[in-house]
Amino acid sequence: MGHDSFEITINCIKLVLIFLMMVQAVPILVWVERRGSAFIQNRFGPNRVGPLGLLQLLADAVKFLTKEDFAPDRAIRPLFYAAPVFALIPATLAFAAIPMSVPLEIGEYVFKIQGYDMNVGIVFILGVSSLAAYTILMAGWGSASKFSLLGALRASAQVISYELALGLSIVGVILLFGTFNLTEMVIAQQGPLTFRAFGHTISSQFLPNWGIFYQPLAAVIFFAATFAESNRLPFDLAEGEAEIVAGFHTEYGGFKMLMFFIGEYGHMMLGSALMIIFFFGGYGIPGVTVADVRQWAAGITDSATQISVITTLVHFLSFMLKFVLFLWIFIWVRWTLPRFRYDQLMDLGWKTMLPWALGNTILTALVIYLIS
Amino acid sequence: MTPDVFLFWFLALLIVGSGLAVLLFTNPVYSALSLAMTMVGVAAIFITLNAYFIAGVQLIVYAGAVMVLFVMVIMLFDIKSEVQAFTSGKISGAMKLIAVGLLSGLIVGGIIMGQKSFVGELSKDAAAQVAEANSAKMKRAAGADAATKELGVALFTKHIFGFEALGVLLTAIAVGTVALARSRGGTHAK
Repeated sequence: MGHDSFEITINCIKLVLIFLMMVQAVPILVWVERRGSAFIQNRFGPNRVGPLGLLQLLADAVKFLTKEDFAPDRAIRPLFYAAPVFALIPATLAFAAIPMSVPLEIGEYVFKIQGYDMNVGIVFILGVSSLAAYTILMAGWGSASKFSLLGALRASAQVISYELALGLSIVGVILLFGTFNLTEMVIAQQGPLTFRAFGHTISSQFLPNWGIFYQPLAAVIFFAATFAESNRLPFDLAEGEAEIVAGFHTEYGGFKMLMFFIGEYGHMMLGSALMIIFFFGGYGIPGVTVADVRQWAAGITDSATQISVITTLVHFLSFMLKFVLFLWIFIWVRWTLPRFRYDQLMDLGWKTMLPWALGNTILTALVIYLIS
Repeated sequence: MTPDVFLFWFLALLIVGSGLAVLLFTNPVYSALSLAMTMVGVAAIFITLNAYFIAGVQLIVYAGAVMVLFVMVIMLFDIKSEVQAFTSGKISGAMKLIAVGLLSGLIVGGIIMGQKSFVGELSKDAAAQVAEANSAKMKRAAGADAATKELGVALFTKHIFGFEALGVLLTAIAVGTVALARSRGGTHAK
């Protein structure tokens, strides 16, 4: 955690801040989702409360908090009430391992802009987010309702199936960068596109050294699998309003429902962040390295602390820009594509994405072995 | 009590508690959920030992995949008769008591044997020991990537036979399960 009380305090505050950032982003995302969906479907969306309907968030929050705390008669109380709380944990824990900017250096202290740095960040994130299936199962079983149980079984089958493709698509990336550490991956993607093959160094003028140029297939599979993992359209078989009312959260209302919502958006944020880190250079800026930014900042001020703060802020902005872009793609896809049928979903997961991801892994390993 | 010791006892109690819950719950769904909790606890213990890779794999494989399947399959079945079978009957009650007795015997034995070596030495020169352990921890944490590589190399060279044999065993189990299930008419059995 740190060597003295100052460092420990800052690190603790940092953990809370990251959690709050994640939770506070949800109302904004809900607003963007509702306005965006209205825009896509040629409607108005929420536009009465406050400017552009922005205060709708506050109205929603009040509504959620003041609703009656309701549980079905036959519900299994401990599971029913625990499920929404557990829904928050996997996404939050995993999101804390995301590096969002270059470390901040204040005097002799170095603060990473990330909850905690782990050498096996990817394995940790996959492990923690795989626990999300329990929340769904607990909610489905605890509600003692047919619709909930059907939705929960569907959802967990889907999450397990797509986890395989998700994990396998990352293996290619791990082989490419030779590390499990997310920060090292981001550092490896800085500068222009350069790689060594058969003793020659091939370099490009305009393309950045991003993972997507080495692993395009893995990027596509990974992105599709994150949609399935966060249970969003076109993979929202878990809900399927026309068939099973609302799936595993049929019986939930008010704030408990909101917590499931936060969990879903948390997975969306996690997916976007991982997508950026694996394939789009993390917090890096295309065409500019961290050293360049630091030099530019040195031209503005003399203080080492201020230079570090500026560098961190610039890279944080770069990360956020990519982050917001990917979140918008999540929303965009949700309101554009129709839902899969269940057999199509399983076919896509097991017969298409899994073999392609396996093939990609083998091909990557072969190529790396041959050219090095 | 250093944070490490506190964490160990907390996690140990959690693991033993949820392990006991696996045995003592009459509803199979609760038992399976408790077993998942045990797996998560063991993963946390691995993290305190700085074995991050093993911890992650434990989470992904056992807690994330195997136990989710267990829970899912149990939820698919009609478990009323199972619940009844586990709640009534002197034999199952006696079995539970024996299992709990054996487990607590193991724990007590472990603690008594542990006190002679581990805890005894720790209390003798605790500060020096902790400092030494911390510096070793730092070293190991720095080499976590190397440790993962070592693990992979050992698994695929030295222990390749055991690794492949386990793979064959698992395949045999899968084939055997399917064969057994089909021999009684499979899912369409009356």
